[in-house]
Amino acid sequence: MTMWVAGTAGVVYLAKRRVQMSILETQQTGPGSSGKITVLNPACSSTMAERAPLTPRTFSDLNDKTIFLVDIGWGGPKAGYDVLDVMKKWLAQNIPSARTVLVAKKGSFGQDDPELWKRIRDEGHACIIGVSC
Amino acid sequence: MSRYAKTLEQLGVPTAPCTAINVSEYVRGWDRLFNSGMPLRYTTLPLPIAGVSREMHEAYVAGSDPITCNPVMHQIVDALTKPLTNDEQSTQSTGEAQEPRLLQPDTEDNLQEFFKQKDLTDYLPIVLPTEERVAAMLKGTSHKPYELVKTIAWPGGGRRLTVEKVAVSAVMAGAKPEYFPAILAVATMAPFGNSTTSMANMIIVNGPVRKEIEMNSGIGAMGPYNRANATLGRTFTLLSRSAGNLHAGKTTFGSLGSNLQYNNCCFAENEEALPKGWEPLSVQFGYSRNDSVATVATGWTYHSCAGELVTTYPPQMLIRDYMRSLSGMGSAALLCADPLVAGILHSQGFTTKELLARWLSKNVSTPVQQYWGNGMIATAYTSLGLQGLEPYATWQRLPPDSLIEPFVDSKAINTVVVGGQTNTIWFITDFKAGKGISIDAWR
Repeated sequence: MTMWVAGTAGVVYLAKRRVQMSILETQQTGPGSSGKITVLNPACSSTMAERAPLTPRTFSDLNDKTIFLVDIGWGGPKAGYDVLDVMKKWLAQNIPSARTVLVAKKGSFGQDDPELWKRIRDEGHACIIGVSC
Repeated sequence: MSRYAKTLEQLGVPTAPCTAINVSEYVRGWDRLFNSGMPLRYTTLPLPIAGVSREMHEAYVAGSDPITCNPVMHQIVDALTKPLTNDEQSTQSTGEAQEPRLLQPDTEDNLQEFFKQKDLTDYLPIVLPTEERVAAMLKGTSHKPYELVKTIAWPGGGRRLTVEKVAVSAVMAGAKPEYFPAILAVATMAPFGNSTTSMANMIIVNGPVRKEIEMNSGIGAMGPYNRANATLGRTFTLLSRSAGNLHAGKTTFGSLGSNLQYNNCCFAENEEALPKGWEPLSVQFGYSRNDSVATVATGWTYHSCAGELVTTYPPQMLIRDYMRSLSGMGSAALLCADPLVAGILHSQGFTTKELLARWLSKNVSTPVQQYWGNGMIATAYTSLGLQGLEPYATWQRLPPDSLIEPFVDSKAINTVVVGGQTNTIWFITDFKAGKGISIDAWR
């Protein structure tokens, strides 16, 4: 029933849904059969996002690297921030040469913070960000 | 959060985003395909994140990703350092998940079952949207079937909601063609609320259209006693499910859900019973009384006064008391008052709705620890206070038992008069009214 004109072959999410539709199609016969009616489909077509690659990983470990840990603010000041603080301590214990910077993003969780992203680009090597719920 | 991680990746910063398990399937599936387009290396943590101890957070970090079963921190280090796979480097062109205009012909019983299996209904029986019925619905407006009502961005995919698609859902809900302009106006606000906090919506109709389509603003207006009220509200639900593409656990995450979303609390204001000086909600928003207007409000909480008024305690006092239990999110409250209550409030000196709103804004107080004790408030306003924005910065410094007045913006406190004058009943809600939408523009 649903037709995919997609360039992202092998995506499990879509494949599952397509199989469901196929099962339903096999239970139906063609148009014009006795006692059958034709109805409109309430669902709308969805446009996929442009594919974007990850940035290449240029280092094989985090030794001597600066890692930003960014709290997006979900759940208030003691939710994601505290989880990231625990991660910061894990990094200090397990990769002691790594430098860590724990920061809270400006504004509410949905508000962009381009200044922070630029700071991380300029001062950091990697970033851990969270926690979305 | 994927847009922040995507931005960082595109700035050349290897990024490891972390999410809780409730949205894990969404960020790996729908969000990747239709929003970010980037195969972000997510790590999943258990729930809850907020409101639990440090020890619990330590256990999460020391434990394993519940989806991949890999140790959390090892997975994060790998996310930042492991070379990219071919898929992660791909810029392969995108496409569209197409939905055909017509479904394959079948028997009525099979089609009823098909709509349920495809998760396109509220699981109550629907009127099947045959071409004839949809064509009849489209006669309720001068707008063309292919005209765009809106593009629905959430939860990604940029779905084009056309007049015809709205007509399909209107038929399914059991609406009449004469309801269609009001339905189209409400459709501009689709889909309905979608939050783990289990929010809901309220639809309020003002103006001449109330009489034209015989909406109920009197006895039982907020209950299941009128076809126009019922089907206008239900169409918003069906639109949200189908065109909105909301599927529980995949693209919508309300933990408990809200029963109000079956009908979205749809009713008309009883304008004929407004006390002198009280304007209809739509007039408060700048429309004239001759304009037909729909207002869609968003909120969570719905308290009934439960019993009639007593002479020893004026209604504004009990409304004030009940408002103390509302979150104060957006400073919003919406009072639904029977005309009898409105008349008594008027006799108490509230000669306009605005006077009542200003009084409530100044007189509803809550302990500041109760205010910050709500996670939604903490999520939305903590960072604003930390940046020095008032009143949040001051409220963060106060001792826990200090009283604050959280409804700082009286314009966000609205009153709607509704009901059949069989008792002095009112409901106080935390619904925030959006600006009114012209129904006449969709005739």
